Amino acid sequence: MPEYKAPLRDIKFVMNELLDSEQHYANLEGAEDATPDMVDAIVQEGAKFCEQVLSPLNQVGDREGCTLSEEGVKTPTGFKEAYQQYVEGGWPSMTADPNYGGQGLPHSIGLVISEMVGTSNWSWGMYPGLSHGAINTIEAHGTEEQKQTYLTRLISGEWTGTMCLTEPHCGSDLGTLRSKAEPNDDGSYSITGTKIFISAGEHDMAGNIVHIVLARLPGAPEGTKGISLFIVPKNLPNEDGSAGERNAVSCGSLEHKMGIHGNATCVMNFDGAKGWLIGPENKGLNCMFTFMNTARIGTAIQGLGASELGLQGSLAYAKERLAMRSLSGPKNPDGPADPIIVHPDVRRMLLTQKSVAEGARALIYLAGQQVDIVHSGKTEEERKHADALLGFLTPIAKAFLTEIGYESANLGMQVFGGHGFISEWGMEQNVRDARIGMIYEGTTGIQALDLLGRKILMSQGEALKVFTKQVHLFCKENAEDEQLKEFIEPLAAINKEWGDLTMKIGMTAMKNREEVGAAAVDYLMYSGYAVFAYLWARMAKVAQQKMEEGTSEEMFYNAKIQTARFYFKRMLPRTRGHAEAMLAGADSLLDMPEDAFII
Amino acid sequence: MADYQAPLRDMRFVLNEVFDAPSLWASLPKVAENVDPDTADAILEEAGKITTGVLAPLNREADEQGCKWNDGEVTTPEGFREAYETITEGGWNGLGGNPEFGGMGMPKTLVAQFEEMMQGANMSFGLAPMLTAGACLALDAHGSQELKEKYLPNMYSGVWSGAMDLTEPHAGTDLGIIRTKAQPNDDGSFDVTGTKIFITWGEHDMAENIIHLVLAKLPDAPKGPKGISLFLVPKFLVNDDGSLGERNSLACGSIEKKMGIKASATCVMNFDGAKGWLVGEENKGLAAMFTMMNYERLGVGIQGLGAAEASLQSAREYANERIQSRSPNGAQQPEKAADPIIVHPDVRRMLMTMKGFVEGGRAFSTYVAQWLDIAKYAEDDEQRKHAEGMVALLTPVAKAFLTDRGLDTTIIGQQVFGGHGFIREWGQEQLVRDCRITQIYEGTNGIQAMDLMGRKVVGSQGKLYELFAEDMAAFIEANSGDQALAPYLEPLAASLERLSDVSEQVIKQAGDNPAAIGAAAVDYLDLFGYTALAYMWAKIAKAAAPKAEGDTSGFYTGKLKAARFYFDRLLPRTVALAEGIRSGGDAMMAPTAEEI
Repeated sequence: MPEYKAPLRDIKFVMNELLDSEQHYANLEGAEDATPDMVDAIVQEGAKFCEQVLSPLNQVGDREGCTLSEEGVKTPTGFKEAYQQYVEGGWPSMTADPNYGGQGLPHSIGLVISEMVGTSNWSWGMYPGLSHGAINTIEAHGTEEQKQTYLTRLISGEWTGTMCLTEPHCGSDLGTLRSKAEPNDDGSYSITGTKIFISAGEHDMAGNIVHIVLARLPGAPEGTKGISLFIVPKNLPNEDGSAGERNAVSCGSLEHKMGIHGNATCVMNFDGAKGWLIGPENKGLNCMFTFMNTARIGTAIQGLGASELGLQGSLAYAKERLAMRSLSGPKNPDGPADPIIVHPDVRRMLLTQKSVAEGARALIYLAGQQVDIVHSGKTEEERKHADALLGFLTPIAKAFLTEIGYESANLGMQVFGGHGFISEWGMEQNVRDARIGMIYEGTTGIQALDLLGRKILMSQGEALKVFTKQVHLFCKENAEDEQLKEFIEPLAAINKEWGDLTMKIGMTAMKNREEVGAAAVDYLMYSGYAVFAYLWARMAKVAQQKMEEGTSEEMFYNAKIQTARFYFKRMLPRTRGHAEAMLAGADSLLDMPEDAFII
Repeated sequence: MADYQAPLRDMRFVLNEVFDAPSLWASLPKVAENVDPDTADAILEEAGKITTGVLAPLNREADEQGCKWNDGEVTTPEGFREAYETITEGGWNGLGGNPEFGGMGMPKTLVAQFEEMMQGANMSFGLAPMLTAGACLALDAHGSQELKEKYLPNMYSGVWSGAMDLTEPHAGTDLGIIRTKAQPNDDGSFDVTGTKIFITWGEHDMAENIIHLVLAKLPDAPKGPKGISLFLVPKFLVNDDGSLGERNSLACGSIEKKMGIKASATCVMNFDGAKGWLVGEENKGLAAMFTMMNYERLGVGIQGLGAAEASLQSAREYANERIQSRSPNGAQQPEKAADPIIVHPDVRRMLMTMKGFVEGGRAFSTYVAQWLDIAKYAEDDEQRKHAEGMVALLTPVAKAFLTDRGLDTTIIGQQVFGGHGFIREWGQEQLVRDCRITQIYEGTNGIQAMDLMGRKVVGSQGKLYELFAEDMAAFIEANSGDQALAPYLEPLAASLERLSDVSEQVIKQAGDNPAAIGAAAVDYLDLFGYTALAYMWAKIAKAAAPKAEGDTSGFYTGKLKAARFYFDRLLPRTVALAEGIRSGGDAMMAPTAEEI
């Protein structure tokens, strides 16, 4: 497994040079603590923890996995201790509400820490990561009492949380879920049902586990409008708030999975377990949607992490591994062969990973700033704009980054040749771990429907314009810049085509609703490459400026420009295939009789 | 997980209706001696039975168990020994082997179908017969009569298995720098010393003896690839009467922990003055390996195809059973809580993509196999030479494109299962893990792309490419009057033109800058592959069209619809690939290593 090194230089580049975080934080309500020095210190400390504590446990987690016995779920060696350190370091409370023990720092800083945690050890990071969902739910919809009891302990990290949504027969389609909640006389409910795929549903790292469970009340309407949300703790809290008697909820089994072995994926059985309603009756799904964007950005980070870790491993290997000579003559004449980084195709693989990892970082941090503004923007207008932009970027970030992050992880493995397939090098683990990113928290297909159907077409294209307008302005501002021409021209063309394609699909979708589903994934991938084009053009501009101003880091900035160039020349053309495919229409998908698939 | 079913209906369609293989076989006297349509059909039927009945049921559990190493001995998962015995008794190891030494002499067009079934049913297991067949090919082509008589019959029968020992810890792609040594003995044998890694089925408990073909250097051999020789090194020495003698001094030092194909033993092999015999000429070892390479590489491509087929079978069954959400056009199964997910357009996109790659891929592997048969068995020199050119050109495409699309297909198959796709018991994730190695071994797909573009297309100054382009153009020309095929022929002609333009351009680019080949190679191979599959789908459409009218089975109409999907939704990828290639190699070569 490659030893993880936090890419601090690039993190700072994106935060400070590309996205001007200093100004951004100064514009937020109540973010006075997020001074440049403070932010820098937090990132440095986080990097140390991830490099020294989490990264060494990554392979251990994969090898040992979790085990279930009478005593419950045992996590891999070292996981529990690492969590203790994490809690002692105050990391769980960093971005949470100060009224309940949080430090109130902007969410975008939390995302930077999440990136480093997730890249160094995704399986471990999911334990505190799942708590975020529970924290967000209770923060947004809980009563004061619920907040005092649960939120404070989730924020301190004393307890962790889970999200219990999926059931054996329903995942994407939660409208058909069957778990029941019977009201008790004391205002509580008895929850009965089986939930599957519950990440961190049971473990030995924290004093209590707070499950947020979707279930139906008696007489609730059918479908998605009859679902309510409940808090169901593993141990019932005592009067003083401490964890008391065991609730009737238990982990029935652990899944055997392709990857993320260090994280416990549980079947959770609720057998008349005591729970409390959170939010209004039958509005459970709406309540969940209030922070869906934030949660999905959290998952999108998995794509970033997979490409970053794959790049770190394969880059080091490509510089060391000797095989064949460069086509333009030996580069390492004293050795028996040249390092494989001299070979064009190896470079193609490395540069693809680099353009994905660094583009993904820019996208995640940009989305992170919108989360900040949604929460703490000073004006209603700012908040609304950020919300629209975040809504647009979220499905792209989640699906596009996990898709190309997975591709990137596979390239990282490919650079290693046969060794990539061998467990001890860690590259194949990176691929196995990354695979789930395209599935959970809404599959790529579901994200694509969200983007094209719910967001763009339902808003008559307005949701797209929020972004394309920004791109348009950027292109206009830089239209005269000769140096940037190679980026601005194709960017402007893509930006225009993007709108045209959306119009065309909108027109056909009015005639046949199937067209949305038929075009959605190609549309989403196209959009992802278009967003990346914008981000890479902006990064190239920043780098260009620094070079003109004179810098001691010429290599760093020159690399940015080179990578941008690679992106525009070799990655952006992929939009050609997606554009053509999405316009091909639904007929060739739908004409096929179901029986004909069987033969 | 659906139980694997041998796709016999489609194999028969490809063999008989798309390619008319029986006519080809009848035209090649050496093939006609051994096979007629009835024999071929009986072989397919039996292969279907044995792969679905014996190999497929072992696949899932064997992945969990893996192989065990203990003090040099390797124990295979439960049931493998018995299955190997069954395969051996059926004579399957020698299906394509030389009849002079006990092989069955079946043409590759037929053997390819058996291979696909075996790899689709159980890739870990399938590697054992595959490696044996490869070793036999090399031995048959280059071994002395004495070696052949001594080893081939027991290898064809499967009583002994074969292994190929090439890679060393520091040398995989670049075999020129291997270090294993061969010292000549007075009796004409050699003492072989060195360490080989990644030796598939290098040691196991299924066969009585294991015959290693080992690359090593003779004393004072020239440096680099021209100083490598090939040796036969048996695990047990073989007495003059053919019985097994003493144990040779080679041993399995350990087995690798891997991502997939866990039930096949990937061995570190230590040779410690092990006794071996030269195969072929001194210092011509790599060349000797290359004669079997074409077969092996197609065989690896077929592994990708087999995994893809298995994944498709499961995915379409799941998509018909799993109910989730309603169709955008209203409930299709109102009596149920939701509709089966096959009603959703995006699920269909995934299934149709899989079908496009699998059935198009099957036609392509058979197409390449057909050229292998002509190259090996045609009596006319010209015809043979032409076929050899086609084989040389198409082999890297078959290896890389079928495995790349094979992995894509298994990943999509996993995606159709949603969260269940990530869970081992459903089997989809195993197919992804198993398939992943096929992009790496037997020459990584990057190496295949370099072979295609550098050695074959640019190396022949486009002459080899022309063979393929002419074949396609002739098909388009011959069918230009057929209205039913017009929707396919038009985009096919356009994509041929695109590929020809790009080919011409890369030949030109390569003249100015050797790095241009490496920079464009992988995209070029993809472009080639998508175009070749379009050609296959046009051939499939041609075979299906006359039978589509009044077809109540859905088979032929389904073929036409799948062809249309391929042209509408998958072929457009060539536009993107061509654009990437045209942008040249500067974007890759300009950054320094430090900048990357």
